[in-house]
Amino acid sequence: MSMKAEALSTAGTSLSPGNDVIGLILQIGWLGFFVFYMFYGQRLQIKIMLKEIESSLYKLQLIKDKGRALTISTIKEVGKTDGDLEARVDRLLEHLYIPPVELDPSGIIRRLEHIVDIRDFRFKDEVKLMVPQADETQVNNLTNMIDAALVLNQIYKIVKHFYLSGKKTSSFYIIMQLQMILPDIMKESEAYANALTAFKAGQPIGDGIGALAAAKLMNGNESHEIARDIVMSEVQIEGRTAYVLKAKGPGGNVGKPGEAIKQILEEKEGKIARVIIIDAAQKLEGEKPGEVMEGTGVAIGGPEVDKFKVEEVAAKYKVPLNVILIKEGVGDVVSAMRKEISDSVDEVSVRVRRILRETTKEGDLVIIAGIGNTMGIAQ
Amino acid sequence: MIVKETASAAKRVSYFFIAIIFVLFTLSFISLFQAFETYRKTGATDYITVTLSASAIALSSYLAIQARQKPMKLGFEPLKVFTTVQCSNCDHKNTREFQNGDFILKKVELCPKCNIPTFISSIYREATAEEEKK
Repeated sequence: MSMKAEALSTAGTSLSPGNDVIGLILQIGWLGFFVFYMFYGQRLQIKIMLKEIESSLYKLQLIKDKGRALTISTIKEVGKTDGDLEARVDRLLEHLYIPPVELDPSGIIRRLEHIVDIRDFRFKDEVKLMVPQADETQVNNLTNMIDAALVLNQIYKIVKHFYLSGKKTSSFYIIMQLQMILPDIMKESEAYANALTAFKAGQPIGDGIGALAAAKLMNGNESHEIARDIVMSEVQIEGRTAYVLKAKGPGGNVGKPGEAIKQILEEKEGKIARVIIIDAAQKLEGEKPGEVMEGTGVAIGGPEVDKFKVEEVAAKYKVPLNVILIKEGVGDVVSAMRKEISDSVDEVSVRVRRILRETTKEGDLVIIAGIGNTMGIAQ
Repeated sequence: MIVKETASAAKRVSYFFIAIIFVLFTLSFISLFQAFETYRKTGATDYITVTLSASAIALSSYLAIQARQKPMKLGFEPLKVFTTVQCSNCDHKNTREFQNGDFILKKVELCPKCNIPTFISSIYREATAEEEKK
């Protein structure tokens, strides 16, 4: 056989298991790998998962650090100061909120409201101490920024806690659970990072769509404050008198819409034909942002104090409750308002008018409440 | 501690990953060189080895390009936000880039047609390319 033919016959065979020696080595290798995987497979998987979590944790740390730096620089910019604010801001970012005792549920809403109020006042007071010359809008926007930076700090600390616990105990289940929810956590963190840039500029955010819808209805009418940080206008719509409510803007504010609705219902002794609540709602995968939906009940987010108040007083006077919801993704809620969401205001207005025509009579009194953060939206 | 107190915004690349790319590249290069030597000495071409080595070189080069230090997207990237100014009397509308101090229902410049103050009717952002894909 010529050298060329010999070389051609052996070409490529070194990778074939048909070759006796190489085949045997490969088989032993496979067997070794099988035994190794049987005993150390889970550990290997843990190592891979920990690496993935570590990389996300690194990103979370970057987001948290940048959020803190942006908050401090904005406070300095607004306050026109170069003073040492880091320690004060860091103290706020570590601020803890301890919910009331649930063992004895009697009066829990009152206690919860008290704690939430104290926390809100404390944050605003801290901002006023740092930036004494800031106006109400600036104080509200800076408080919102601190709130967002605090959430980023908390997320980072919690993820780090579970990462270290999982690593310490090599617990497959702790690590697996963390890895499974990590994509959602990352999405939420990026949304809060986005929120910080919107809060800095005072731009309307997705959550403010309810407030925007109310502001459009109130436009051109006199308004006054009826509850803490809630303004009301009396507007004639389709021959009905509508008490339109929203949080006081244009600073970042949600106010106490529950208290305002309760106050009007008590004042009118329940002689309100209908309460319509407009709010943003979490969209499901596949739904489009800005889609408008209707329902029954009370759509007010947050610690549920306001939701409770409206449910209580509406049940007391048997007042029907309608909700108009505008669908948005997790990332849209706290970032600058998307065009699709902003454009849904016209559809909301059409639906409000239709509900009023179909369910109430001319001359009736109704309440229309636009819920959400009113940053960048006046009245 | 797992991560440093102050982290840079550059993408972090693991040394282990770089080592794997280097080993893969070296082995495939040696293998390609051997195939070339066999061809030079005998005139026979080992197509399987050449194909596998070339693919491994392409793969390792691709991985090396991917591992380049790129800035990480954190969510702080500025978004394009627009302000629409509207006249309440006529249909005049003007959309411009958002400016600090803008807020909805703020009275702004005079309408060029009616000469009465216009107001900001909406402030919005266009969806990013990533959001459009979803």
